[in-house]
Amino acid sequence: MSAARLRVLVCDDELQILRGLKIVLREAGFDVEAAQSAQAALDAAALHPPEAAIIDLVLPDGDGVDVCRQLRGWSQMPIIVLSAVGDEEIKIAALDAGADDYITKPFNPRELIARLNAVLRRVGSNVDEPTIRVDGLEIDLAARSVRRDGEEVHLTPTEYDLLRILARNRGRLLTHRALLSEVWGPQYADDTQALRTHIANLRRKLEPAGEPHYIRTDARVGYRFIA
Amino acid sequence: MWIVSTPREYPRLVDRPRSRAWAVLVVVLTVAATTLVIYPLREVGPEVSPGVVYLLAVLLVAVYWGLAFGLLTSLVSAAAFNFFHIPPTGRLVIADSAHWVALSVFLVAAVVASAVADLARTRAAEAERRRGEADLAADTARVLLGGATLADALPEASRLVGVALGLHDAQIVMDADGDRAGDRAVVLDLGAGREALLDLGVRGDDAALRARVRERVAPALEALLRAALDRDRLQAEVVETQALRRSDVIKTALLRAVSHDLRTPLTAIITAGHAVRSPLLEGGERDELGLVVVEEAQRLSALVDKLLDLSRLQAGAAEPRRDWCSLEEVVRTAVDDVADGDAAGFALSFDEHLPLVQADAAQLERVFVNLLENARRYSGGHQVKVRARVVGGKMSIRVIDRGPGMSATQLARAFEPFYRDEASDAHPGSGLGLAIVRGFVEANGGRVRAESLPGHGTVFAIELPLAEQPGPAPIPAPS
Repeated sequence: MSAARLRVLVCDDELQILRGLKIVLREAGFDVEAAQSAQAALDAAALHPPEAAIIDLVLPDGDGVDVCRQLRGWSQMPIIVLSAVGDEEIKIAALDAGADDYITKPFNPRELIARLNAVLRRVGSNVDEPTIRVDGLEIDLAARSVRRDGEEVHLTPTEYDLLRILARNRGRLLTHRALLSEVWGPQYADDTQALRTHIANLRRKLEPAGEPHYIRTDARVGYRFIA
Repeated sequence: MWIVSTPREYPRLVDRPRSRAWAVLVVVLTVAATTLVIYPLREVGPEVSPGVVYLLAVLLVAVYWGLAFGLLTSLVSAAAFNFFHIPPTGRLVIADSAHWVALSVFLVAAVVASAVADLARTRAAEAERRRGEADLAADTARVLLGGATLADALPEASRLVGVALGLHDAQIVMDADGDRAGDRAVVLDLGAGREALLDLGVRGDDAALRARVRERVAPALEALLRAALDRDRLQAEVVETQALRRSDVIKTALLRAVSHDLRTPLTAIITAGHAVRSPLLEGGERDELGLVVVEEAQRLSALVDKLLDLSRLQAGAAEPRRDWCSLEEVVRTAVDDVADGDAAGFALSFDEHLPLVQADAAQLERVFVNLLENARRYSGGHQVKVRARVVGGKMSIRVIDRGPGMSATQLARAFEPFYRDEASDAHPGSGLGLAIVRGFVEANGGRVRAESLPGHGTVFAIELPLAEQPGPAPIPAPS
């Protein structure tokens, strides 16, 4: 455990939520920089870049999607957005604008901290690591081979590409559109049927026990690889 | 759609002008034929009496071509009779004064016969037209008033009017601009400032036809269209009233739910909030109070989610966003959500290579979250089983619990919003879960039913339609 506490920018216009989050985050080992508007958040981030940001999607002077886009303009810091139930379009827009994950209000603060730690682990890991090892799964990026508990898993090139992209962004929620554009090309960005079929095949091979273990589903939004 | 099983032959409602050239030819031919027929008749009678045969020709022509040609036939007949049969033949001269009398009598008889035949002809044609109009009105009434809505019936009504008028491209246009009527349409006044146009199409520039339609067809059509409009309006009102009555029931139930289900956790939270500030707190008490706040607030949150789901369903705002989705994914995500780290309480079984379904994944997730919560609540610690497979061309998912089961009365009402079994106070639920389940399943084109064996458990069976499976996935672009 390093002595330096990580700084997290929290932007929400509800003072009551900020109050609670400050305490919960402090207890989880983070320093909190609070902002109550989009402008205040952008200013605070520019002045003293935090290690991560938690941004509410509905702000009095703009929307969180814009904040995500502007932060992404100069920083790779993990961003988690806070959304209300049923805002699928805005959620997806925020993820496509660079957010790493979202959490729906009202959320369990422990869940928020778990997600925050997950996206921070992605940034902490070496981007150019030749092998990704997660919980018994070993992906050798150089050899394009996958082993589960030491046993080779045979994947088709598409399944391998999907797994590689998910694993290299582990902890991050990738939208259907993002995955499809990345693996099949932008012209196939709406072909969710192909995506679901290949994810199902990939899961059958990786998770024979039938428990979703490595890949998590977010029904309307996308998939994330566990961190 | 309207299908008229036996296409009715309508008498022509509007006369088509008959060819004059034909008429003249027929006049000449019939007179010539009669003249020839009289030659053999002359052998058996005096030369004057066979002249009566010409009356047949006059009647024939007058019946088909009217008075004018009847008179023409009379004159031509008189001339021919004179020339060929009244001595001296071969000349238009009458020698005998008796013959003068005979010819004059013939001429008068012929003219009167023409007039009578023409009158009969006109009356018969008029009667035919009226019958046609009556038939048309009856058929149009059946089409306009017998069906679902005016909009649905209009094309068929247009077709009927077109057949009756002999205008294949006649068309009834609702709420058309009266000024646009021009020369080829008749304006139909529907009352309350509404108008329709009966566009007569290509032959509409015939003024006589338009006048006839305006006088004989339009009034009945106007009355029928008004009746159809009234019927549409009344139907809409009935639907609205029913919806209002239903929403009243829902509102009452909602108020009851709000007063109890929302107030109880709120009271607990407020009490705990006050208590946590007490300086006299002992050891674990603060932690306990914190837990009360969290648990009660989560209960509130779940209830708000359900109320939102239900109000969306009631308002018809739960339009599913269908996409290909994997049932296995949906069910597993729901289990993750419900199990809260204890997935052992659920036994899942999916047939291999289940096809994808076309549905709203988020709504289906809500379906299974509600069903699984419900099943776990009643299962008394036994495992809840979920089984998905394809049966009879449909996706079939069964959620099976080994709880106390439900009686027939309970089963019948299980899917009603806010229905709670009074005897099951031990298992407090909002009474909304199953209503949401049914709402979302049906919104996605599926069906849900419950089967129960009291004392042995309950099965919730969901059927979802299987859309035609799409073609093979595209080949990935080379990376």
